Amino acid sequence: MSVDFQKQLNILDYGLASLWRRKTKNLSVILVFALVIFLLSSFQFLTGALTGFAEKTLRFAPEITVQHMVAGRQEQIPVAYGQTLKKIFGIRRVEPRVWGYHFSSVTGANITIWGLSSFAPSLQHTLLSGTMPSSETMGAVVLGQGVVRDLNLQGRRKFSLFRSDLTQKTFSVSGEFKPESELLTADLMLMSIADSRDFFKMSPEFATDLVVTVANPAEIDTIARKIADLLPGTRVVTRPQIQQTYNVVFGWRSGFGSVCLLTCLAAFIILAWDKASGMTPEEKREIGILKLLGWQTSDILAVRFYEGIAVSLLALILGCTLGYIHIVLFEGVLFRPLMFGWSVLTPHLNLTPVIHLTDILLITCFSILPYLAATVIPTWRAASVAPDSAMR
Amino acid sequence: MRMRPSSIFALILVLLLGVDLVLVAQSLLPDQTGELNEVLTYELGLSDLCLSTEARYTRHLSISDTTAPFMDHPAALEHFPSGSFYGIVQ
Repeated sequence: MSVDFQKQLNILDYGLASLWRRKTKNLSVILVFALVIFLLSSFQFLTGALTGFAEKTLRFAPEITVQHMVAGRQEQIPVAYGQTLKKIFGIRRVEPRVWGYHFSSVTGANITIWGLSSFAPSLQHTLLSGTMPSSETMGAVVLGQGVVRDLNLQGRRKFSLFRSDLTQKTFSVSGEFKPESELLTADLMLMSIADSRDFFKMSPEFATDLVVTVANPAEIDTIARKIADLLPGTRVVTRPQIQQTYNVVFGWRSGFGSVCLLTCLAAFIILAWDKASGMTPEEKREIGILKLLGWQTSDILAVRFYEGIAVSLLALILGCTLGYIHIVLFEGVLFRPLMFGWSVLTPHLNLTPVIHLTDILLITCFSILPYLAATVIPTWRAASVAPDSAMR
Repeated sequence: MRMRPSSIFALILVLLLGVDLVLVAQSLLPDQTGELNEVLTYELGLSDLCLSTEARYTRHLSISDTTAPFMDHPAALEHFPSGSFYGIVQ
């Protein structure tokens, strides 16, 4: 072992022993520090996992969705618009969709009713139990796990919902979606398009929106512009826009994201202010004694540097580990009330955050660097003065 | 023999990093649900994640108006809690 390394190891030992002498204070600092990092990392891991999930799955979202706008609100779109759209070169298919929401006055849940014109055979693999109904089967529905919990059918296969005019429509449960798909299907009630049209009392001339499939995905934006020109009263949403949405909604600019970031910043500013505003007389005396014993200024700085590294590194690892456990094992339980608000139907968050180096660097920049600066700079100021005046 | 403070500290770090390693290794296991969710998105034509179901504009973030929260009545303010969690879609 080289002499230099041995010297640094001894300085590290001295610094750690010095931290342990003031263990109550230092453990409190580590705890508070770790809690702040926990908040920051939890938010980063949760939003990162959700963005990653959205990126992976929404690659298959509808290429173009056309909505009809009346007085700034989305209204039913005439199905005849589909014929107009088919004139645009490059459009392969236009499909009217009928979907909407049902508010259950009993439980207060909002259920998404989703009408499908044809049920692909591949959908059978997405079911936990039962079968996918055919588009001709009337009254058969497939339920998301959230809806299953909300309806509390207890083995019954039939249930009724009230239409908006308070007439009843009876459904029979044909199948249930797998719990692994809850992030997409928790509140979904899938049925044939004829059923959803009947449930919403929607005239056959209208639909909720139109989904356009294009021949060449590279032309999505061009065709979207043509649609907007051809049908001025419509809003055209493209697949890239849908994907982009989930890149921005979970950012630091959201209300809660800003709160997390500002809380952390405020905590670190207070900590830095406390440290930078001056050392205690005891700390100054310790520096004086060390200098009298022959320690160099650089050695004293090294002690404080190692102390700062030890405290912030421990808090960083502890905070990040707790943040990861919070998201993976506890499904982000602290964020759920805010993320889901007053939602009655909530999905289980089976998320696996992918740890990016940038996330760790961001958290490190907000934690270790300010703490090190706040620890070393006052020490440098105190260690630069003569030992006798430091002791006085 | 008494351990040096630096050895105790290194031991604590190794233990914590060991826990992290186990957690990260679990997250690297093959994802079985990816294909399932992709099939659902494609075949049903889904456009949004089912997170907050309290309001239509938080349920379907990507195909709702940014002004939808303020449409309930003149001078309406947004009052759903989850609205504060999601950033503004430009």
